[in-house]
Amino acid sequence: MAGMSGPPPIEVSQLRKVFRQAASGQAVVAIERLDLHIAPSEVVAIVGQTGCGKSTLFDLMIGLERPTAGSIIIGGKTPYGDFDAFRGQIATVFQQDRLLPWRSALDNVQLPLELLGVAGQARRERSMAWLERLGLAGFANAYPRELSGGMRQRVAIARAFVLQPAILLADEAFGHLDEVTAGELRETFLALARESASTAILITHQLEEAIAVGDRIIVLGKSAKLLADIRVERWTKSDHGVLREAIQATLQSNERDPRLV
Amino acid sequence: MHPDEYREAGLAGTWSRQTVLSLAIFVVAWEVLSHLAPALGIPAFAIPSFVRIGRSLITITPIDVVVTLLRVIGALILSFALGLLFATAMYRSPKLESYLHPMIRLFMAVPVVSWILFAVLWFRGVEFRIAFVLIAVCGPVFLVDSLDAMRGVSRELRGMMRSFRPTTLQYFSKLMLPAILPNLITSWKINLSLAIRVVTIAELVGAVTGIGHQLAVAQELFSVADVFAWTLVLVALLFLLEAVVSKVEQRVLRWRA
Repeated sequence: MAGMSGPPPIEVSQLRKVFRQAASGQAVVAIERLDLHIAPSEVVAIVGQTGCGKSTLFDLMIGLERPTAGSIIIGGKTPYGDFDAFRGQIATVFQQDRLLPWRSALDNVQLPLELLGVAGQARRERSMAWLERLGLAGFANAYPRELSGGMRQRVAIARAFVLQPAILLADEAFGHLDEVTAGELRETFLALARESASTAILITHQLEEAIAVGDRIIVLGKSAKLLADIRVERWTKSDHGVLREAIQATLQSNERDPRLV
Repeated sequence: MHPDEYREAGLAGTWSRQTVLSLAIFVVAWEVLSHLAPALGIPAFAIPSFVRIGRSLITITPIDVVVTLLRVIGALILSFALGLLFATAMYRSPKLESYLHPMIRLFMAVPVVSWILFAVLWFRGVEFRIAFVLIAVCGPVFLVDSLDAMRGVSRELRGMMRSFRPTTLQYFSKLMLPAILPNLITSWKINLSLAIRVVTIAELVGAVTGIGHQLAVAQELFSVADVFAWTLVLVALLFLLEAVVSKVEQRVLRWRA
């Protein structure tokens, strides 16, 4: 992955993930035979109801979980099997900011660069530049507990972008924030993702967010069954209401909606 | 004891009005008793006056204090290193943990006196005996506390850290160690008071230097004043060490303030 000129395509084929419940030993199918192709620099929103396997897909994509069957191939490598090959290539923004409470905002942003061994001065300058871009220049030395929820999430976004990764993954990254803050952060995230030409994958349960952000919306049903794969550009802004309605109906019925085919 | 409780109890260097008052009551009561002792049929040496205790305090040999202090600090550093090392190994290997855990529980159930007797029977060197006893008593405390703290590090933070693909060393140095630091400091506080008590007993039995040894000498001379003076030194030593740990705590955990 090192020395890659641009983001690689992501190929998900026949992906299956089964968990065994610790208490009962019962098998739970989180993802059942999912196929997906995500092109380089695409901004994809993955929507689905709670428990449909979105977060499991997120963990599989960043390589924290091993697929039970099938594969995820990014630039010829698998995120789980070739774990270290993706150092500095994949960055994540989580639902909660997941900042280290003992580090200042600046030190949190520096963390991924420290792990990559970037030298002190360059690391600080790069991190500070990202904090400035996210409007937090005056809070570089503040600890997470001294920042609001929105500010902490900005730090988390800076921490992801400071890597200039090929692939950005966000799991319900703005869902817990108030409407205004979430809207602002969503726009910032999208602008930065487009500017960096990274492939961006946003996992969300909010249809408004998916429609606002994604070039493409992937709708998942139970066990991550692919219900719809929508190119948002084909829908004019005035039709977004119909689109939202159709996705809603698809999610409720767990069946494909003819309007989305 | 939780660090907050330490602060509330006034052991971290803050002298509340209540603390001063309770100490003053004790001092006055002792002094009155020391004067009334002969009239009550108690031998005068049993409850010496503070003047007599003060005279004993002047004769305190600093070398014995330093020796005890070095023994405590040295053994605690070793116990800490070993406890953390084993805790890390057990955290990384559940299989190793399943074998070591019962052994550690067994170790923790062994009385201090038994460890001292084992040390006397097994080893020749005095320093080695004392270090063995202290490590046997304090090491498991560090281990169990560290392991529990490591297990308590949130799944979210572990996931975030792993998503950046750190090396094993980075994972521990950038996440686990700072995350468990508050627990480690509490362990140090607990082990400090434990070590001060244990080292005294160990020195009492097998050493020719240190505060424990001087207490044994005082006992042989029937000098309650000397016992009192050396005990005061021990308590002061413990408070001093706790104050140092509290200062370190304030500095390294300022993010929690």
